[in-house]
Amino acid sequence: MPLDELLIAVALCAYVLGALALLAYFFVRTPWLRDVGIPLAVLGCIAQFAQLIARFELTHVWPLLNLYGSLSLFAAMSVAIYIYFAFRYRLWFAGGFVLALSAIFLAYGVTWYEGTMPPVPSLQSYWAKIHVPIVVSSYAAFLVAFVFSCIYLVKYYATAGSPALARAAGGAGAPAGSPVLLWLNGLPSLAQLDVIVYRAVAIGLPLISVGIITGAMWAKEAWGAYWQWDPKETAALLSWIIYAGYMHLHTRPNLRGTFTAWVSVIGFVSIVFCYLGVNILISGLHSYKM
Amino acid sequence: MTQAVQRQGVLLMWYADFVRTFGNVLFAVSLFLVWGALTLIGVIVEQGQDAALYFQAYPAPLARAIVRLGLDNVYHSPWYVGIVGLILLSLGVCTFKRVIPARLPPLRAVAIDKIPLHAEIEAPGECETLRRKVADFFASRGWQLRERTFGGVEWTFADKHNWARRGVLVAHAGFVIIAAGTTLFWARGFSGETAILTGQTVDVPQTHARIRLDDFAYRITPIMTKSGMVYQPVDYVSHVTVTGRDGVARKMTVRVNHPIDVDGTLYYQASYGFGAQFTVSRNGVRDAPLSQRTFLEGDSFDVPGTTRAVVYERFVPTVDRASGAPAADPRVNDPAVVLGVSDTGASLGEALVPLRTWIDVGGETRVVPRRYVLYSGFQYRYDPGVPLVGIGAFVLLSGLVIAFYFLPARLYVRVDAAGPGRCRIGAAATTVKGYDVFESQFARLMVSLNTEVA
Ligand code: HEM
Repeated sequence: MPLDELLIAVALCAYVLGALALLAYFFVRTPWLRDVGIPLAVLGCIAQFAQLIARFELTHVWPLLNLYGSLSLFAAMSVAIYIYFAFRYRLWFAGGFVLALSAIFLAYGVTWYEGTMPPVPSLQSYWAKIHVPIVVSSYAAFLVAFVFSCIYLVKYYATAGSPALARAAGGAGAPAGSPVLLWLNGLPSLAQLDVIVYRAVAIGLPLISVGIITGAMWAKEAWGAYWQWDPKETAALLSWIIYAGYMHLHTRPNLRGTFTAWVSVIGFVSIVFCYLGVNILISGLHSYKM
Repeated sequence: MTQAVQRQGVLLMWYADFVRTFGNVLFAVSLFLVWGALTLIGVIVEQGQDAALYFQAYPAPLARAIVRLGLDNVYHSPWYVGIVGLILLSLGVCTFKRVIPARLPPLRAVAIDKIPLHAEIEAPGECETLRRKVADFFASRGWQLRERTFGGVEWTFADKHNWARRGVLVAHAGFVIIAAGTTLFWARGFSGETAILTGQTVDVPQTHARIRLDDFAYRITPIMTKSGMVYQPVDYVSHVTVTGRDGVARKMTVRVNHPIDVDGTLYYQASYGFGAQFTVSRNGVRDAPLSQRTFLEGDSFDVPGTTRAVVYERFVPTVDRASGAPAADPRVNDPAVVLGVSDTGASLGEALVPLRTWIDVGGETRVVPRRYVLYSGFQYRYDPGVPLVGIGAFVLLSGLVIAFYFLPARLYVRVDAAGPGRCRIGAAATTVKGYDVFESQFARLMVSLNTEVA
């Protein structure tokens, strides 16, 4: 097995095992599960970056120019951003979801592997080396925001029905003894989850802005106009509009929380559409044909 | 007189309503929603197609809506331009009515325990000394201090990242500058495309530059992948001689990702194709004008003395010898052309005609595809708005970074006696983004204050 394929296999195994350990940790909160899951996440992430470097060294072709390479970076960056959040804000419990999603995206990327190909002329540009990693990193930040938004919404809807639960979940008052309640109480408060989502979007929005801008600069060089209303760039604009909407809604205390969490979920749906939907369903300049 | 006053009153009310609506963030988000919806339509509905195509692809009422509402060219429709205009208007109103007037909250006494982020620390010592120590503690951490006395109580106010309150303004200004830059292209820029055959010279209408295509070449590499043979294009290159405004002819090379600049207008490698020359003869006599012409794909000519027409539909670089059908290989190995023949507009069929073979198109006329000539397609564009868009992008990004990563916060601190030889430090914090974002930072700050001062 060539080195790069071996590294991908290592990363996939690490993510799957890490996801299982951290999902179990999410439910039972046994510390050793976390102590196994987090190193596996780190291992998978390192294996992925090593794989991208190995592929570049072996083929001398920039490895991010097809769905295989870019999904691989997407998975790696999602895990990397999650690890940063986990260490910075002590958020181990969400790791299972991030790793599971990363494993799915990585596995899907592998199905697009066609072997080594030289890039088509429009992709032979130093902009490819700048634009693609930035855009993919912004998607990764939005994935992390999405996971925390989902956890927020689950907690909100699970607790909104019962005032006792709500009190417990909000961190006020002692848990009344039910296991669900105990478990929900172990998560950060809704307000803290909202701040985490905000922080992830605050990484993603500047990145997607830089991504769109560098994409426009590249387009100017390759196609003659910095904005062509190509489906890909337009879908990225749509995501940008949604997250700009998120930021504005978040300035209103009465909308901060549940409403903005939904906007973040919708935003990630638009990201998946922009990333995969457009590539697969709609052809345009970004399908890289002359 | 009273009528005039009344009218003025109505106008003022109307103005107040307008300002309230357009200065509201929720109104702005509603505009974003419409902007997003129109953008999504543009992604899903293929743009710039013939009306007939929409009727083929969608149910008739939907197709009619697409065509009538201009959704087939949505980004240039009045809806799209209008919504972006409204967003700019709303942004403008908001900037002058909310963002610029937003001042720092005044320095005043507050009920510390009524502010959600608050802490109390008890410490031994003399209160005045402690107050100095607390002030030094915040000053050494970059907080900007001011002291005031209200009702005989001394307050210390500490601000951080105050300047970052302007991040919103900077982000908004960036967006406006980008919008201005794109408008400048609409107002003063132009763009177009031209296809030039090898050896041909064209005049670009808007710029009066003369471009001669000396040579065009492309490179395609066959690669065996897991799902079969792929013919991967690797390079497209046009060698041109360009004469600009100064009248000097210069040799230049245009590649994808490497446009050339002639008097401020950029020329890009956009496409390529195959022109074809035919020998047309009737009863063995060669038709000189037709035989000298070079046809581009899609061009047609009338068959002399008949009601028939021949169209050069497309070039086939390689014919599969075994099947006689076009092969997938886009390199020129065994070339042919596809010719269509019609009579008074009605198609009679099409044929694959290998180069240097002949076909009888009726009326005793034979057509021989004699040779092919490569042509290169260029796009050109003059866009005076680019520097402005670039500056706007930079300003917008700076605004985003300031708004998201520098949190303006204010601390309210008072030190009171709490019994003999003991003092109580009360501290509360507010930020422009609510309390939750600052919670953990405040907690850390209070822990440090406790260990260092108390
Ligand atoms: C319809 C036009 C817009 C209006 C009326 C508007 C209004 C506002 C207002 C009032 C705020 C501050 C809210 C507060 O602090 O209470 C704000 C924040 C902000 N706006 Fe806009 N805005 C508009 C468009 C945009 C656009 C196009 C951008 C481009 C990115 C943008 C970026 C921002 C940012 C980054 C913030 C700060 C958010 C935060 O700190 O969390 N705005 N906007």
